[in-house]
Amino acid sequence: MFMKSKRLLIIKILIIFILISFNFKNVAVSSDFSEQQTINITKNLRCLICQGQTIHESNSDFAESMKKYIKSELENGKTNEEIFSSLVKKYGQWIMYDPGISRNTLLLWTLPLLLFLIGGVIIAKKIFRKI
Amino acid sequence: MIISQLGYYSLIFGLLTSIFIFFNSSIQLKKNNSVISNKTTGLIGFQFFFVFVSFISLIYSFIISDFSNETVFNNSHTTKPLFYKITGTWGNHEGSLLLWLLVLTGVLLGFIFKSRNEPNNYRLLTTLLHQIIVIGFFVFVLKTSNPFNEIFPVQTEGLGLNPILQDPALGIHPPILYLGYVGTSIIFSAALASMVSNYVNKNWAKNIKFWILFSWIFLTGGILLGSIWAYYELGWGGFWFWDPVENVSLMPWLSLTALLHCVVTLEKRELFKKWTIVLCIITFALSMVGTFLVRSGILNSVHTFANDPSRGIYILTFLLVLVLLSFVIFIIYENKNFTQKSEIFTLSKETAVLINNWFILYFLSVVLIGTIYPIFLDVILDEQISVGPPFYNKLILPFLIPFVLFMSIGPSMKWIKTNFRIGVKSFLVIISTLILSFITVYYIGEKNIFVLLLFIGFFYLLLKSLSQFRDKTKNFAQIFSHTGFSLLLISILLNSFSSKEIVKNIQVGESFILKNEKIIFKKITVEKEKNYETIIGFFEILDEKNKIINLQPEIRIYNEPEMATSEASIKTSLFKDRFITINIIKDQNFFNVRYQHKPFMIWIWISTLIIMLGGSFAIFRKSKEVNI
Repeated sequence: MFMKSKRLLIIKILIIFILISFNFKNVAVSSDFSEQQTINITKNLRCLICQGQTIHESNSDFAESMKKYIKSELENGKTNEEIFSSLVKKYGQWIMYDPGISRNTLLLWTLPLLLFLIGGVIIAKKIFRKI
Repeated sequence: MIISQLGYYSLIFGLLTSIFIFFNSSIQLKKNNSVISNKTTGLIGFQFFFVFVSFISLIYSFIISDFSNETVFNNSHTTKPLFYKITGTWGNHEGSLLLWLLVLTGVLLGFIFKSRNEPNNYRLLTTLLHQIIVIGFFVFVLKTSNPFNEIFPVQTEGLGLNPILQDPALGIHPPILYLGYVGTSIIFSAALASMVSNYVNKNWAKNIKFWILFSWIFLTGGILLGSIWAYYELGWGGFWFWDPVENVSLMPWLSLTALLHCVVTLEKRELFKKWTIVLCIITFALSMVGTFLVRSGILNSVHTFANDPSRGIYILTFLLVLVLLSFVIFIIYENKNFTQKSEIFTLSKETAVLINNWFILYFLSVVLIGTIYPIFLDVILDEQISVGPPFYNKLILPFLIPFVLFMSIGPSMKWIKTNFRIGVKSFLVIISTLILSFITVYYIGEKNIFVLLLFIGFFYLLLKSLSQFRDKTKNFAQIFSHTGFSLLLISILLNSFSSKEIVKNIQVGESFILKNEKIIFKKITVEKEKNYETIIGFFEILDEKNKIINLQPEIRIYNEPEMATSEASIKTSLFKDRFITINIIKDQNFFNVRYQHKPFMIWIWISTLIIMLGGSFAIFRKSKEVNI
């Protein structure tokens, strides 16, 4: 009886904490918004002339001009998605570090999850097996 | 010249010895001797000796800059410091494969010495199976990657070593990594041998555990050194990029971690026999896959692979042969030698290990598929995609939360059956976890439910592991590695959320501000070293308490090969690293300065060391009865 009420208490506290945290708000800092946004975008772009670096990390001429270009596009009011899709059109999917979900990458995303499910079924069978 | 020849012939003798050992041990197996003959042990010693001589010859050729040797010519230069002449030995394809071979023969010798009290036919079979791998690699080295090729006419100067490889951490990174990476080969041979000789039992588990821990510790160390190098040498303050070359070392590590937990269950409860064997095979197969990916050049582009396919195709064929061989052995002996106990899984440590393996294998599959999927897509559809951090974050992070929760409660479970209850102690742990997580999330200003849940999971693991120090029966190996792992996750998360950076183009004398710090560009000097010229920038940082911190980033211009590298200057403190790099802007007086705050960096390194320390405890622990 004593144990049970304690467990309930913990659950209650947990729920309260989670509810509080839902009320947290994301407030974007507006002053250097395009600066920060440029970083967010370039962190997801491959520097095409470098060896495995993002445009954000690279100091190459290509990366520097891309940073300027993206910043100006942002200031022209383009959204992240518009910038990404125009870059993919120009340079191909290769430039994006996030492969995204498309016909080509469907298996890439689902195969690990499928394996996880299969593993889960095997383990569940082991655990709930009756002799 | 002579020495280089010696190295070459020593390799051939090594190959001949291997063939001899192969036949010798199969004859002995037929005779069913009860003791392994001194001759076999001696031969294994000789085999190692030959590779060792060959390896030393190559190092010697590098030291004296013997440019009649093609490998030395391609990768060394007379003006290089002695240390980098030596480390240049394994900083290239041919030399690194010779190192492969050295470790491959070395672990067999170690195994023969360590296994003196184990059944003779098991030891002989391990030797026999290991020789298949050894012979395969001897042929590979001699046929496609001979480190002792001569060039004529003899050159007077070499082409030099890539400057970014001229670094102390990267100098010792390959040997450490290879001890772990190639160390998995003996696990593979021993697992197959134990299956054939019907020796998959508690004793075997106890003994093979040493080699699993051995590989695991060195692999962890190797990955750590690689990350530290990437952090300060590549110049942008990152330490892990989910790059295929990194993934290739992470995959056997994940598989070894799963195997480690499995083999302890086998040792204590004689469970998971088949699964342990399968994991042993998978681990080594992953090492081979990694060797194939890195050594074939297919990672840079499928087209580089097409230019010189002989190396890649050899390793790939060899890998398939080994997998097929283990598959056949597995099918034949699967039911013959295994009397699997049928078990009921309840709330027990066995179940916890099952869940551990389930998640780790999932993480492994994410990394494996993420690494090789783009290659297949390129080959089959000629479409190029990049699989980078966003993919791994999305598929791994959400699963980390339940994983660490299971990881927290797993160790306090008992074998067979646990009566689980929440006592005052666990209540305190939960409350402190929540408080800590809320403070942290509030402090870093990342007010997001998902981040909060991640912190709750990681802090719970940390506090739960630490609270085990007060238990009556302690297992320091487990406590240390779990504590280290939770610290690692927390540090990485904090680091990724509260890193700050600023990039400015400024002249000498100018300054800029990041948070409460003022960064002043004092002056610039140019100095000449033995094999490079360096431009050093002198920076003063005034922190919030007006204390002065000096940082001196460099731009080095190496002479051979001609290449500029940017050397970061880092000031480490307990809670954050201050990280600065400079770059020249063409035809201008401005310098491109990148200044970063990287919080908790040192804790990423320390926690990895704690993980390794945990592994070492397990090796040196006396074999008394303790739980995992």
